[in-house]
Amino acid sequence: MGQQYLFWFAQVHDDFRIPELQSVAEIHGFDLHIPQDLDASRPFCILELDHEEHARLLARRCILIRSVCEFYARGSTYEELHERVRQQRPRWSCYIEDTSFKFIVTAYNHTIPQARQREVVESFSYMDFLGKIDMKSPEIIMTCFEEYPDKHGTTRPKDEGDGEFKEVFFGRLIEEGSARPLVKKFDVKKRLYYGNTSMEAEISLLMANQTLAAPGKLIYDPFIGTGSMAYTTAHFGALVFGSDIDGRQMRGKDKQPGIIRAASQYGVAHCIIDLCTFDVTRNPWRCGELFDAIITDPPYGVRAGAKRLGRKSRQDKEQPPTSPQNIAFRRPDDQPYIPPTKPYELSSLASDLVLLARYMLKPQGRLVFFLPTVTDEYEELDVQSMLCDGMEIVANSLQNFGSWGRRLITIRKATTEHFAPPSFEQLDNVAHIPAHKDFREKYFQGFKKSDVEQISELSDQG
Amino acid sequence: MVRLITHNLLACHAKGCTSNNFPLQLKDVQVELRDAEYNADFLRGFISRIEWPALVDAARQLGDTSLPNEPPEMMDDDFLQKLHHVLLEIHIEEGAMICPNCAHVYPISNGIPNMLLAEHEIG
Ligand SMILES: C[S@@+](CC[C@H](N)C(=O)[O-])C[C@H]1O[C@@H](n2cnc3c(N)ncnc32)[C@H](O)[C@@H]1O
Ligand SMILES: [Zn+2]
Repeated sequence: MGQQYLFWFAQVHDDFRIPELQSVAEIHGFDLHIPQDLDASRPFCILELDHEEHARLLARRCILIRSVCEFYARGSTYEELHERVRQQRPRWSCYIEDTSFKFIVTAYNHTIPQARQREVVESFSYMDFLGKIDMKSPEIIMTCFEEYPDKHGTTRPKDEGDGEFKEVFFGRLIEEGSARPLVKKFDVKKRLYYGNTSMEAEISLLMANQTLAAPGKLIYDPFIGTGSMAYTTAHFGALVFGSDIDGRQMRGKDKQPGIIRAASQYGVAHCIIDLCTFDVTRNPWRCGELFDAIITDPPYGVRAGAKRLGRKSRQDKEQPPTSPQNIAFRRPDDQPYIPPTKPYELSSLASDLVLLARYMLKPQGRLVFFLPTVTDEYEELDVQSMLCDGMEIVANSLQNFGSWGRRLITIRKATTEHFAPPSFEQLDNVAHIPAHKDFREKYFQGFKKSDVEQISELSDQG
Repeated sequence: MVRLITHNLLACHAKGCTSNNFPLQLKDVQVELRDAEYNADFLRGFISRIEWPALVDAARQLGDTSLPNEPPEMMDDDFLQKLHHVLLEIHIEEGAMICPNCAHVYPISNGIPNMLLAEHEIG
């Protein structure tokens, strides 16, 4: 039996919490048992670990961890909590004699007035700590968390509902989440080079953790754009390869490519192995099984439409005038000849990406990418149906924007078989039509039900 | 950029160009040397993916003759250091890569190769 630990999570991306813990445990090669009934939408959770060191490793790498405590007790009232803390005496009695300490009383979704914070601290006086109180650098920090129900994400005024918490937790702090400050470090606005497709820092970091990025690994972004995930992946020690159909996205305006400038800012320029301009559906890779992971935000047309080499078919001309596809593909600065491109429908792009990953990844390698989807229409089958033999889902985390959302999908190559490169031929008779099909059109029509149906009828014929 | 590791992984992919399309020939190249972080495990893991004669040839063309004709049985540190230098520290900044079979020219500018095909070259 291991020890129990209390995890406190940042108040964001709750669907990403457990996958991140599991990935970081895998990076460090230990097992993490997640109870079936765990409610990961709550900001506190209790997990059993074999070693305290594992808790520390998680807190140093998981972006979503605020802190980890040795867990003593929880309760729906303070009476209940104190009774259980008393029962746990053998766990904390070693600190009674001569350990400097401090108490922290804090809350989720609420600010506890100072006076009551003091009351709470005093209510623990039966613990009888004899060491000195040290507010600056105590040997131990005891933490008490009150969890309040979510009131539409707003913190309430100081006194409103004070004390009406859902549950209270108590433990000894063992490590603050030290990876969380990376969200500031990789802030897009402070980056020397970025564009309107750049991925926000926090998500880029979460994605990098899903790839199991570490020194000695080689990771590929086939739609690298301005390189947001290259920096976070390289920060964790991996070597990164990137390509994009549009050289200007990677270069920017200066002589030195924008991605290299931004990577230098983060001290990881030497980890960017190379950047190449090509259409990933017409790629020059000599062989497969090169990469430990593929990390990417595929183009789904809201900002940067998917395109591939080839002439548009006639029916594509009837697109709404606001569509980015109608803005002519301007001349890239790095080539004398601009090949024509045609749009690339999202559901075929997604299944092509899985096939490409199966070819390009080493066994056990991971594909980590976003799939936008229409919230009301999404079914589990949408994700299942883009898989192919040998590829299995590891995680599927929703970032919800209301009528639409995007899912961060993590897929593992669970086979050592060798596969041929994908043909990137459009399949004509697909058995299941996923809700992300024709996502771009649905997006520009505001996901109106009737329109959505019309579109899928249209594309069924086409 | 365009390190020799990359040069060793790219083949001409023009329509119908499926044999003698690798290695791409280097033309009018400008080279820069830059330090990279040495990682022996990465090199040991990657060596099976390398087309050895192509790597040795490319390195020699650029004036580095440190690699043996065959990869040695014993991958000691001395060898791995040389391999590290050739694979990761030699950067082609300008010039072109040309297909030995169909003569397609893939230009390199500011370290980024343009591997896009023209319309008549896609299958
Ligand atoms: C959503 S953006 C990726 C943004 C990137 N994560 C960043 O941080 O800027 C998608 C990228 O895919 C590129 N793209 C579109 N179609 C492509 C294709 N067929 N092959 C390669 N790249 C493509 C676009 O030029 C665009 O830069
Ligand atoms: Zn050729």
